[in-house]
Amino acid sequence: MSEVLLAALRLSVDLADHTVLEGVALTASAGEVVGVVGANGAGKTTLLRACAGLLPEATGELSLSGIDPRRTAPATLATLRAYGPQHPTSAWDYTLAELGQLAPSAEAFHRWCARFGLGASATRRLSELSGGERKVAHLSLSFCALGDAYGKVLLLDEPTTALDLCRAELVARAVRASAQAGAAVLVATHDLAWARTCDQVLVLSEGRLIAAGPPETALTAELVRATWGVA
Amino acid sequence: MKRPAGTLALAALLLALLALAALACGSAGLGWGANGELLILRLPRVLAALAAGLALGLGGANQQGVFRNPLADPGLTGVFGGALLGIALLLAGATEFTWQHRWALPTAAFAGALATSAALVWLGRGRSTAKLLLTGLGLNAFTAAGTLLLAARFPEARDILINGAAGDWLGSATLELAWLPILGCVLAALLLLTQASALDRLALGEDMAFCLGTDVAQTRRAGVLLTALAASAAVCLVGQVAFIGLLAPHLARALVGPRHRAMLPLAGLLGAGLLLLADTLGRSLWTHTPVSAAAMTALLGAPAFIWIASRRHE
Repeated sequence: MSEVLLAALRLSVDLADHTVLEGVALTASAGEVVGVVGANGAGKTTLLRACAGLLPEATGELSLSGIDPRRTAPATLATLRAYGPQHPTSAWDYTLAELGQLAPSAEAFHRWCARFGLGASATRRLSELSGGERKVAHLSLSFCALGDAYGKVLLLDEPTTALDLCRAELVARAVRASAQAGAAVLVATHDLAWARTCDQVLVLSEGRLIAAGPPETALTAELVRATWGVA
Repeated sequence: MKRPAGTLALAALLLALLALAALACGSAGLGWGANGELLILRLPRVLAALAAGLALGLGGANQQGVFRNPLADPGLTGVFGGALLGIALLLAGATEFTWQHRWALPTAAFAGALATSAALVWLGRGRSTAKLLLTGLGLNAFTAAGTLLLAARFPEARDILINGAAGDWLGSATLELAWLPILGCVLAALLLLTQASALDRLALGEDMAFCLGTDVAQTRRAGVLLTALAASAAVCLVGQVAFIGLLAPHLARALVGPRHRAMLPLAGLLGAGLLLLADTLGRSLWTHTPVSAAAMTALLGAPAFIWIASRRHE
């Protein structure tokens, strides 16, 4: 049985006197891709940010590689997990070469860029890239931060949003490859087709976990209709 | 590709030449005097302008990095105003004590700058950067009004405070008075340089910076503290000069790109050069009625800033 790298029990988050996540339980083991789905505002981003250690005010039990990410120094956490935000930003107009210098390994960053179809673009500035290209440039940083992936946790928030079919497929393959290399991956997505290829799916609604398990049992037609109002 | 090392070396060389020219120029004409007496007279002023400009350039670059906003500047966010208000409160409350103890003035300036920075962070907590900057503008107006009120109420401090608000203190710099603030500027500059890597990652947003291993809270705390130190030391030397902290980082980014490892030292060198140039021109072009460094800085800097802002994507 694979090692559990990420576990949460009764995980709750209140932001500005409003409960955005309530009593969520999950486990993600090495080699596993766990999809997190739900309508807009269901709590997907909050769940990922809490797991990444970004919300120290989150309550409940939380374990990332055996430690509590809410009480761990950022430098230590950075060796255990990587995170890709839903809306990556940059205050300054870095070139891809400059962005690569912020990564743990510039060489690895450029390899990831090339893998996502951004090769030979080192001198291009972020402002010169399309929205999708910018997204994969930042995703390259997240994958690069994951290093060899073995025994680490990858948390990606809607990584394929704004990507064309080809790049979305490349990202999905990279996610699967990271899991095969020994990472536990938690990925929030609106792409139900992709979610159906995950090993486990968590379905959130108004901050609560309403279904969890293998996609064939968690993502039933009734639940999809009830959650998204579509067949 | 830009070559940061070459640009930094060139900027340092030009700054050294400018410093030599500044030592040779003044209301008494060109040259250092028969026995170097003009050199000795001008040296404190030149050193004070160099140190203050260095601190202003780096302080502005640091505040822009911490707030992730190219419009941040300690002159606009009330930090300079807070430093000057600290000085005004001390002068109004304990004039004799102030002149008896050389550490009193810089300490009061630092306390004022730190109090304004803390108020800025506290009042702007949980708000967008734009609202934080608006809060800073409000604090700036408040501290300026406080200084002017004290200047009006305490005639013995009036001239010195009015000159400080106009950024016109460089002319009264002596080594005896200036060495402590100069030391403060250099110390703040050296410590600010250590923030480069954290500021680079903070540019990607707080979440991403944290996930790449940066202690965001610590970076913000250090930023506030060091900017207060840089701003207060610079204010003790020049008075209130708003434009250097805004212009120098923009110019540096245009020359070597946004990475702070090269941008921060260049912003410091450019800040030093801009302030020294402004002061030298102000006292050399109009020898009978010298123009303050702050006025010359704005006169030269504003068109340059508008030009940079219009041609660059930030």
